Amino acid sequence: MRLKAAAAAVLCLHCLGVYLFTRGFLLTRTELSASSRPSDLSRCPCSSASASASASADLHLPRPGWTPPTVDRVLILVVDALRFDFVAPSSLFQHQHQHQWMDRLSSLQHVASSHPLSSRIFKAIADPPTTSLQRLKALTTGGLPTFIDVGNSFAAPAIQEDNWIHQLVTTGRRVVMMGDDTWTHLFPHHFNHSYPYPSFNVKDLHTVDNGVAQHLMPWLYREDWDVLIAHFLGVDHAGHIYGVDSQPMVQKLEQINALLQNVIDIMKSQKHLLNTMLIVMGDHAQTLNGDHGGGTSEEVETCLFAWMPRSLPSSISSIFDSSTCGLGLNGKNICTSTMQQLDFAVSISALLGIPFPFGSIGRVNPELYALSPGSWDPQWLPASFYQDPRSDLKTWKNNFAHVLCINSWQVKRYIDSYSATSVMGFPSDDLHYITKLYNEAQSRWSDSKNSPCKPENGTINEFSDFLLSFATLARSAWTEFDLKLMGVGLGIFIISIIFHLFVFERAHSLSNVYDNKTQKSSNHLQIYVAFLLVAVRAVSFLSNSYILAEGRVANFLLATTAIGSIRSSLVYGKIKKHDLVFLILIILIRFGIEKGMSKQAATNPFLNYDSGSDFDLKWLPSLFEGHDFVTLLSEVSPMIILFLLSFLSCKYITCTVDSRYIRWVVTVGTMLSYLFIATFWLSERSFAPKMVYVIGLSLFVLNFVLRYLGILEKGETVQRLRTLALVMVSAWSPTILILLGKQGPFAVLVCIFAGWSIISSKNKGLLDDFKMDPISVMQWSLLAICLFYQTGHWCTFDGLRYGAAFIGFDEFKVVRQAILLFVDTFGISHILPIFSLPFLVTIPNSSSSKGRDKTVIFLNLTQVYLLYGLITAITTTFTVLCVAIQRRHLMVWGLFAPKYVFDAIGLLLTDLLICVSALYYC
Amino acid sequence: MRKAQIGATTALALHSLCAADLATGYWLSHSLYSSSLITHPAPTLRILTVCEAPVVIVMFSWLRRDHDRCSFIKALARGLIGLPIGALINAFGAIVLGAPVGLKYWPATIYWSMLMSLFTFVPAACVFGASKLDWQQILSYSKPSNIVDYMLSVPAHGAIIGAWLGAWPMPLDWERPWQEWPICVTYGAIAGHLIGMLLSPVLIFLHRRHIRTKTE
Repeated sequence: MRLKAAAAAVLCLHCLGVYLFTRGFLLTRTELSASSRPSDLSRCPCSSASASASASADLHLPRPGWTPPTVDRVLILVVDALRFDFVAPSSLFQHQHQHQWMDRLSSLQHVASSHPLSSRIFKAIADPPTTSLQRLKALTTGGLPTFIDVGNSFAAPAIQEDNWIHQLVTTGRRVVMMGDDTWTHLFPHHFNHSYPYPSFNVKDLHTVDNGVAQHLMPWLYREDWDVLIAHFLGVDHAGHIYGVDSQPMVQKLEQINALLQNVIDIMKSQKHLLNTMLIVMGDHAQTLNGDHGGGTSEEVETCLFAWMPRSLPSSISSIFDSSTCGLGLNGKNICTSTMQQLDFAVSISALLGIPFPFGSIGRVNPELYALSPGSWDPQWLPASFYQDPRSDLKTWKNNFAHVLCINSWQVKRYIDSYSATSVMGFPSDDLHYITKLYNEAQSRWSDSKNSPCKPENGTINEFSDFLLSFATLARSAWTEFDLKLMGVGLGIFIISIIFHLFVFERAHSLSNVYDNKTQKSSNHLQIYVAFLLVAVRAVSFLSNSYILAEGRVANFLLATTAIGSIRSSLVYGKIKKHDLVFLILIILIRFGIEKGMSKQAATNPFLNYDSGSDFDLKWLPSLFEGHDFVTLLSEVSPMIILFLLSFLSCKYITCTVDSRYIRWVVTVGTMLSYLFIATFWLSERSFAPKMVYVIGLSLFVLNFVLRYLGILEKGETVQRLRTLALVMVSAWSPTILILLGKQGPFAVLVCIFAGWSIISSKNKGLLDDFKMDPISVMQWSLLAICLFYQTGHWCTFDGLRYGAAFIGFDEFKVVRQAILLFVDTFGISHILPIFSLPFLVTIPNSSSSKGRDKTVIFLNLTQVYLLYGLITAITTTFTVLCVAIQRRHLMVWGLFAPKYVFDAIGLLLTDLLICVSALYYC
Repeated sequence: MRKAQIGATTALALHSLCAADLATGYWLSHSLYSSSLITHPAPTLRILTVCEAPVVIVMFSWLRRDHDRCSFIKALARGLIGLPIGALINAFGAIVLGAPVGLKYWPATIYWSMLMSLFTFVPAACVFGASKLDWQQILSYSKPSNIVDYMLSVPAHGAIIGAWLGAWPMPLDWERPWQEWPICVTYGAIAGHLIGMLLSPVLIFLHRRHIRTKTE
């Protein structure tokens, strides 16, 4: 009774803690699948009647859009990891030393200084995480990246949200892409022509750049494209390998510079490129060491350079901000502006005249927009506007106000749609404020259309105000941690640990009352040792390296306890068989973990695991390579182990379970399951796994029914408890085994023997057999962690074994496949160990098992469960603490956050299973 | 029972001899072959083992427990046999704890386990031989009756705990050469061993005083 209440209370506390911490830490954004369509404009209040008529008339044109295109083509050259000080004149950075990498992109500086009215250097501020994939996603959708983009995609990288590439394709533009193959992963079917090059090999500085250079020049002479994207990777790779302040980086910049000069010359000479905007931009910047991913100013301050070969009206200078200027290489002044990368998607959509992406929350950048000749063109304004041909500026402002109005309308539409559909919307106060701003701006706009004097500046300012306020709100909701919520969540975790400790201490002292022996002090020593091990493990989570090597750390600690127990075996007698078996099992588990790590290293950029040198048992298989019996062995050995397992479980069930009927049912169920597993492996028939799941589930339900009908109540307490645990484990193990695949039998066999070793090695003559041994519980928990890693799992989302979700099923259904994936991930590390914990207090063949008080046994069982829960809770609390401390760490999204998610789910599952066990066993 | 009881000063002197020997070995490898533990772990460990082995075996054979039944030569032989056995046990323990098993690590692992054997197993083998009771006693600390027990047990435990702690920096991503197996583990073991050798005379001194106050 006590265990049930305590476990339920702890579960509730943990749920609350996890919920609050997650709210504060894991920033969530719901991806909306809606796309903007050209015809949507008819619902926009910005266009007057005639304008909307013309917009709908536009639909019949080959290039329908919301605003008329202001440029013919756009040439986008993305230089990965382009720092602002690569492009901007070094005189802007006077407080710094002159570095060798500065002023290397002289071709851009020459253009900027000689064409101050048709070119511009922007400092473009990116939103973290500053990794290429996230940046490209944000640049094309116009949204903000967050940790969890809740979307429809199930591990597929292709962008599902609306983006300007998609808009270009649907409005019939031709897009050409060359360079980094991330683009083709994100947009698999969008490009008319694409020349992707692999981006993974960081040590390769030239393949991508040379490939781009080879294809770029011929394409510039061709006319059958509208948007050309070329993505250079050399600068990023040179930074990663050599750092920014290095000769390879300088050479790389020189190479890019020559290429850019070439492009600029071609653009000046070719007539069809006269109305083409050249954009040279970085997706993110880098630190001097070449790192990026975080949110420091070095990493987020990248550059955007825009140039129009055609000359533009001179009144553009009044739009440009001229506060930050410096002398360029040729002694002329170069001014720079600042823009948000968030604004890029909508700005480019406005330039090309395509519908703005549905999820874009940026604002059309005025300076970038002014660089296009079309924005100065009075032709496309609604006829109702008063036009003053003498004033270019006035026309431009009219045009820009119109674009901003559509922009605001689109953002407002997104806000409404997002608030209506997403789980966690925006705070309602902020929403009210935003709506008020929007309404004011709209009413001013409609007023201005009718009044003769048009305060365009006011309208522009009000729309800008609305857009900037919303961007701020979205940033705080999607990219800033809520420290208060995180603190409260952490506090609840700590309170739950104190409560847990208190309950455990009560149970412990109660058992000492029953137990009038003098073994108290030694038991205390064991508790301290167990908590020391927990503390060592918990503190190790502070470092990313130990999180990556968690399996090996757990294995190391498990081996330490095993060696300690051998030492005490020596002291109290001689080394037993099970001690040596345990050591050998630990070595086997260790090889499994290392194999998993080498698999993980292939996908995880953070894990620097040299599988070639550390685990070069490769010479072993290579000795036998080509021999048939090796392949035969790898095919047959799971079968043999499976047969062994079925034999073992059959034997153990027969000699443990008293009741004839139950023995019969469980044996038949288990045998049938194993038979079906063998059938599945031999013939790949999909009915077999389904049968295994059905048998497992019905045995599980049957157990509870029998338990509550009182049929399993017969016999002595110890005997009964053992029967219950055995029946429960038999119900679960075939399902877990089949999900684990061919490695399953081996893993389960290791699990059984390791459990047997732990049980037999506990109580070194000091304690009587039913006393709880904290070291064994600690070993049990460490073994569970080792088994998680040994079976090829690890704590990132690409570490999930998606294949397991489709064992027995071909088509995808979210709930069903998620359950299978869940059972595969947590089966052998949580479900089996926790349900089999009663074996720790019910050792077979012990002489003193007869006539033990029922209360004492249950008290011990309660202690075991409480201690197991406590160990998990303490380590998870430390994970939470470390995640909170490291929230600005470079690897927070790659490593700490997934670790937190896995640990939090593991903790809640542990609590839940302890509750179920309490209901079932007590 | 000749020389059965030796004083704290003697113990300190003997321990300093061991430490000086270790230092000599390190200096030798450094000056003769210009190899340090970081650049050439296996050769350096070999030199350390070769330097340390005779001193340890001779010293602890001289301290043997059963002077009457066991000659000096026999104790020497026990030490020599104990060296590979202890190395095997240490290597096995290291592999259980996660030492790499790749072929290129084998020389370093072999010499490291020899050195560990000299720190832990060989002294006890010289002193006790195959007497099971003595081994149990020294592992359990239940009756710290003898001075030699301290000299054996404290530095040996120091070496093992030091090696255990020395393994912790290995997974860190600092990419320093000394994080390789078995360099930092060796440093930890040597440091722990030295601390143990400093500690054991202190414990012997305290133990002596305790007995004296008891008898008085």
